Amino acid sequence: MSEITLKQSGSILLLGVNHTTAPIDVRERLAIPISRLADATRTLAHQPGIREALILSTCNRVELLTVSDAAENPLSPPLGMLRFLHDYLNLPAEEIKPHVYEFREREAIRHLFRVASSLDSMVVGEPQILGQVKESWNVAREVGAISSTLDPLLQRAFSVAKKVRTETQIGSSTVSIASVAAELARKIFGSLSGKTVLIVGAGKMSDLAARHLIQQGATTLLVSNRTEARAEKIADSLRTPAITTGVIPFDQLHEQSHRADIIITSTGAGQIFTPDHARALLHRRRNRPIFFIDIAVPRDVAPEINNLEGCFVYDIDDLQQVAAQNQAVRSREAEAAETIVTREVDLYNARLSQAPAIEAIKQLQLSAEAVRQQELARTAQRLATNPLTSEQQAAIEALTKSLTAKLLHSQLSALRTPTSDDPTK
Amino acid sequence: MSLLWLRVAVLLYGIAALAVLPAALYSRPGWRHVALPAALGGAFFHFVSITETLYAAHRALPVDTHETLSMLGLLLAAAFLILAAKYKTVSFGIFLLPVVVLLTLVPAFHPGHETIAYPFIRTGWLLLHIVLLLAAYAALFLSLIASLLYLIQERRLKQKRTPRRASVLWLPPLETTDQIALKALLFGLPCMTAGLLIGSVVALQTIGPTFFADPKVLLSFAMWIAYMLMIFIRQHSGLRGRRAIYLSSFVFLVVLAVWSANLFSAVHRFKAP
Repeated sequence: MSEITLKQSGSILLLGVNHTTAPIDVRERLAIPISRLADATRTLAHQPGIREALILSTCNRVELLTVSDAAENPLSPPLGMLRFLHDYLNLPAEEIKPHVYEFREREAIRHLFRVASSLDSMVVGEPQILGQVKESWNVAREVGAISSTLDPLLQRAFSVAKKVRTETQIGSSTVSIASVAAELARKIFGSLSGKTVLIVGAGKMSDLAARHLIQQGATTLLVSNRTEARAEKIADSLRTPAITTGVIPFDQLHEQSHRADIIITSTGAGQIFTPDHARALLHRRRNRPIFFIDIAVPRDVAPEINNLEGCFVYDIDDLQQVAAQNQAVRSREAEAAETIVTREVDLYNARLSQAPAIEAIKQLQLSAEAVRQQELARTAQRLATNPLTSEQQAAIEALTKSLTAKLLHSQLSALRTPTSDDPTK
Repeated sequence: MSLLWLRVAVLLYGIAALAVLPAALYSRPGWRHVALPAALGGAFFHFVSITETLYAAHRALPVDTHETLSMLGLLLAAAFLILAAKYKTVSFGIFLLPVVVLLTLVPAFHPGHETIAYPFIRTGWLLLHIVLLLAAYAALFLSLIASLLYLIQERRLKQKRTPRRASVLWLPPLETTDQIALKALLFGLPCMTAGLLIGSVVALQTIGPTFFADPKVLLSFAMWIAYMLMIFIRQHSGLRGRRAIYLSSFVFLVVLAVWSANLFSAVHRFKAP
């Protein structure tokens, strides 16, 4: 019987910099554009001692995730990765060393799960990071840089991220002023498809809010400004093939503003919309709701308008307050998400530590079965002149099976017992 | 056997009514996977139970109040499932499903024993009359709930505060809720009109003109006028929010009055068990 040994799954190591450890000039030098990601991943995977590799490069982080041939000494520097940084990115290791974090085994798995779940992002809960991790995974798979260790690990990371999204509210609330305004508009109108946005005045914030609303599906954009040329310029800058734009002369603002479902004001020239204006607007709109986003200081929209049924007025303070509250909700939900990640890391680790034992048990059983079959064939050949009856054959079959099972029992039990020197812990 | 199916339906509706709470109030979407199949299963067993009851009694009509309430419950359960499928919201279930449970609970555990046969009890037209009117009642109730949800969402938006907990009632956008309220009414009006017309024709043929002097019948026509006026006002003035609730509540009270008039009517009444 061949000797069975526990095969090590390799040592997982993660090396990286992110927005908290490195300034932008360092991240810029490390960043790998998507067009070069495949080549970079292949190069990293071909470094001596590295069995599998994946590179995650976004505007806020660059991380190298590898599996080396054998469990490395935790104190030894990751030579393959440092060589890659030096050769491929032309960066001396000493220069970036103060900004680099390094995680091994369990901590590397934990970090990956946190990154995929957007717990390590600059804006906690933002959804883009999961797509970026998936993109890196796709590239690594295409170039054959990941296999038995990183592939299931990445897939587990995606499941964990999905679990975090569905079991917590981490990504449910928006945290920037412009996105809060768009989110509120969606709460009023549902889909913004077919909705009209009116910008009164000019300003960066109103421009940004309008862009967000257009992204959410608003299809018509009207601009009104004291200087008509400026209004036309703003309308031109926001025009796309899918958007209809128009200019409302400022002196006709009150006559025509009923055409808009959402009005963004940023003139700061005093109260342009009074409760009487709002009542007239509602009347013309046959009480269809209207949403005022007042970014101006002093305010352009009388706050009393919010008391009218069908009118919703949010000024800059209101929007900031909602954004801050949403941020607080995200932070609370992040705690729940961390618990999920910790639980999932434990589960994955337990599975990982059992994998070599399961493989060894399988090999042992296969090997024993091969020997049994071989001996049965030899016996059958020896008795060829006086063949056994079917009952006798069945009895021998049962006897050999029972013997094999009893002989293997102690070895299998030992393999099934968890070992204390688990390399992944 | 039909009673067993009805009890199974009550149990499933109960599960759905409970599961919808974490799904809608605590934003735990996983519970939708319990609430929706449970409600669907409940509606299926409910339908089987009603069909079996009517088949066993050799008639096509629900003839006592319990059977009629049970049928109304089935229509409300169907409304919940349609809303969940079309608008991806289970928020309506918070109000609809407990009502469905209540409407089916009594017939399931204290069934009626109607034996008297009306001469027209096998008339398909009369079945249509009852089902259409029940559909109109269900639509009105749905519209009332939608208006209520509209009001809650409107208040929340006007208060400009994100609730302290992330776990609060998720509501559909205002415009969607408003559309649900209006579409429910627009669906209910033809149901009520056709239901009343069919009932009138059948009554004219079987009872004669005296039928129209009955208080229940007169109230029914008043209800139809109120229903139509409500739709007219909503459509032409764009009535929403608080005033829409008042209007829906008023018509709902008229409906309750029509329902209670069964007790005083000499010619139009459900047989009490």
